[in-house]
Amino acid sequence: MPQLGETVSEGTLTIWHKSVGDEVTANEVLFEIGTDKVEMEVPAPTSGVLKEIRVDAGETVGVGTILAVIDDGSAPAAAETPAAKVAPAAAPAQPQRQSAPSRDKSLKLSPVVRKLLAENNLQPGQITGTGRDGRIKRGDVLAFLKGTPAAPAARPTPASSGDGRTVVPFNRRRQMTAEHMVRSKATSAHVLQAVEVDFSNVDAARKRAGSKWKAKEGFSLSYLPFIAKAVCDAIAEFPKINAHVEGENLVAFDAVNLAIAVDLDFEGLVAPVVRDAGSMAVVDLARAINDIAARARRDALGPDDFQGATYTISNNGTFGTLITAPIINQPQVAILSTDAVIKKPVAVVVDGTDAVAVRPVGVLAQSFDHRAIDGAYSAAFLRRLKDIIETREWAAAVP
Amino acid sequence: MAELTYREAVAAAIAQEMRRDENVVFLGEDVADAGGVFKTTVGLLDEFGPLRVRDTPISEQAIVGAAMGAAMTGLRPIAEIMFSDFFAVCWDIITNQIAKSRYMTNGQVALPLVIRTANGGGVRFGAQHSQSLENWAMMVPGLKVVAPSTPADIKGLLAAAIRDPDPVIFFEQKSLYGNKGEVPEGEHVDELGIAKIVRPGDDVTILALAAMVPRALEAAEILAAEDGIGANVIDVRSLVPLDTKTILAEVSRTGRVVTVEENPRLCGWGAELSSIISEECFYDLDMPIVRITTPHVPLPAADDLEDHAIPSVSRIVETIRREVD
Repeated sequence: MPQLGETVSEGTLTIWHKSVGDEVTANEVLFEIGTDKVEMEVPAPTSGVLKEIRVDAGETVGVGTILAVIDDGSAPAAAETPAAKVAPAAAPAQPQRQSAPSRDKSLKLSPVVRKLLAENNLQPGQITGTGRDGRIKRGDVLAFLKGTPAAPAARPTPASSGDGRTVVPFNRRRQMTAEHMVRSKATSAHVLQAVEVDFSNVDAARKRAGSKWKAKEGFSLSYLPFIAKAVCDAIAEFPKINAHVEGENLVAFDAVNLAIAVDLDFEGLVAPVVRDAGSMAVVDLARAINDIAARARRDALGPDDFQGATYTISNNGTFGTLITAPIINQPQVAILSTDAVIKKPVAVVVDGTDAVAVRPVGVLAQSFDHRAIDGAYSAAFLRRLKDIIETREWAAAVP
Repeated sequence: MAELTYREAVAAAIAQEMRRDENVVFLGEDVADAGGVFKTTVGLLDEFGPLRVRDTPISEQAIVGAAMGAAMTGLRPIAEIMFSDFFAVCWDIITNQIAKSRYMTNGQVALPLVIRTANGGGVRFGAQHSQSLENWAMMVPGLKVVAPSTPADIKGLLAAAIRDPDPVIFFEQKSLYGNKGEVPEGEHVDELGIAKIVRPGDDVTILALAAMVPRALEAAEILAAEDGIGANVIDVRSLVPLDTKTILAEVSRTGRVVTVEENPRLCGWGAELSSIISEECFYDLDMPIVRITTPHVPLPAADDLEDHAIPSVSRIVETIRREVD
């Protein structure tokens, strides 16, 4: 009996389309089953002769029960495997418990270590314990947070081994990134969706600000603050995008604390936070993003600059990329990649007639956690985001 | 500053207060003519005369009863119980009368008295003359309990106890009487209820009292030199009132705490502190609270056995070395 849905533990065999002794062909409908949720035709997994029917029509049996045996002419020992394939003996998945550090009794974590792990959203496995039997001590967590190994282990530097290979040991930031990325992939069901966006209106605003802006502010007005503003406004209509997954709960936040991924000149990646970005105007966002990026590059960010992010934007466009599938910044629900905005011929309608025009176009790609939300919700959010960017009179938002 | 012994600091404190306040009187067994069996009160009879410095019969009840009566009539008596073990025969007067009078008279009768006593072991006096009874006194509502570890603290805290408006049990540790230390000259008054960080460190807080303070300090130096463990030694000084502010802040800061107690293990003062710490700063603890105490046995008189029973420097070092890992 196949598993028809996560929460279904049994199914009813409604109709057999074949009788014992009949020839069956792979993918031909063999029988139908029903649960309180679905009706479904089930195809034969293999070709052969239906040798035995073990569950008659009308019977209700548990998931994993063998329903029939198809003899595919292979070794006798394998005779039952086709049926087993029809009905993989998959036990209903146990509800996944959140592995909060305080739950695992086999780990002897002290109260202060549990507190620090919870406060910083860390898992015990991330920390190397230097105590007896590898126990994690408070100092180990603090050292991890500070980005320094607790034990004064000698940190090897890049060394050419003379055989044409150069060994570059992961530094602490690299280790943390590696751990976070793998954990995120293992935690969230990543789905990528992307929209192509016409940035003409944003370009108009950037042209208007022009060199005056750069002369006054000391940095160029990029697409990013406009995208950030549009993200915040779209989130106001799709609050589940601005959320964390905590155990089996989605926790949505009123304020948008926007993490901005900042590359440290190829020497690592950090994602400092612009707090309450939703309340900020485009020009304020531009200044705030410039500020955290500048401070990130001169290593002047404090722990507070990394706390409480609710959504993340990763800006890859400066390198001309078409699309990037970003990895979710745990425990958030979604992350957006902004890729290159370049001039392209696009179909437009001019006075009721189709025409080709040259427009600045870029792809916005969002990875979302399918555990927390579904594709339609994410897609609707992206559509709204695209609408805002394309239709708003951005020029009014800049001096 | 002058260098005084722990015992000289006792006489210095009493003399300071008797000179200041003529209501301060002093009584006990062999305290006047003999200057005290531990020579803690030498010179007081000569300076203040037999009216204010009195030898008493060998009756501890008479001593504390007389002190209570004197305090009720407006004097500020200091009574000496030669060995703290003899508190056992005074307990009715101390716990049922002295400790409760302010409460039962709704404040009409205050008892500004001090009962000084030689407490603790380490000098081979056997089970009936060596007990550390600070925990007995600590558990009685209405008594303040002080146990200094240095000559300077003896002078400052005994002066503060004499000036306190309520009964104070003042435990002098008899094995410390010969210890020397710098003591402020002139009037020196400390404050009850203030613990002192006597050696700062970041890795583990050691809470110690009286004779256990110098042992904890010695252990801390060994731990620093041999193990790189920074021990933060706190001299608790006063059990009632208790300086929970300092203690909890330091325990939270270091995340680890060890008590070193001379009293027997069961219901020792460290048990009460452990309870307070685990209630108030459980989430800051990085290891179980560890108590190093004398075991729950009558203290032996034999040298080796007594040394084995009372927490030693090596036991403190080994325990912390093991637990802090």
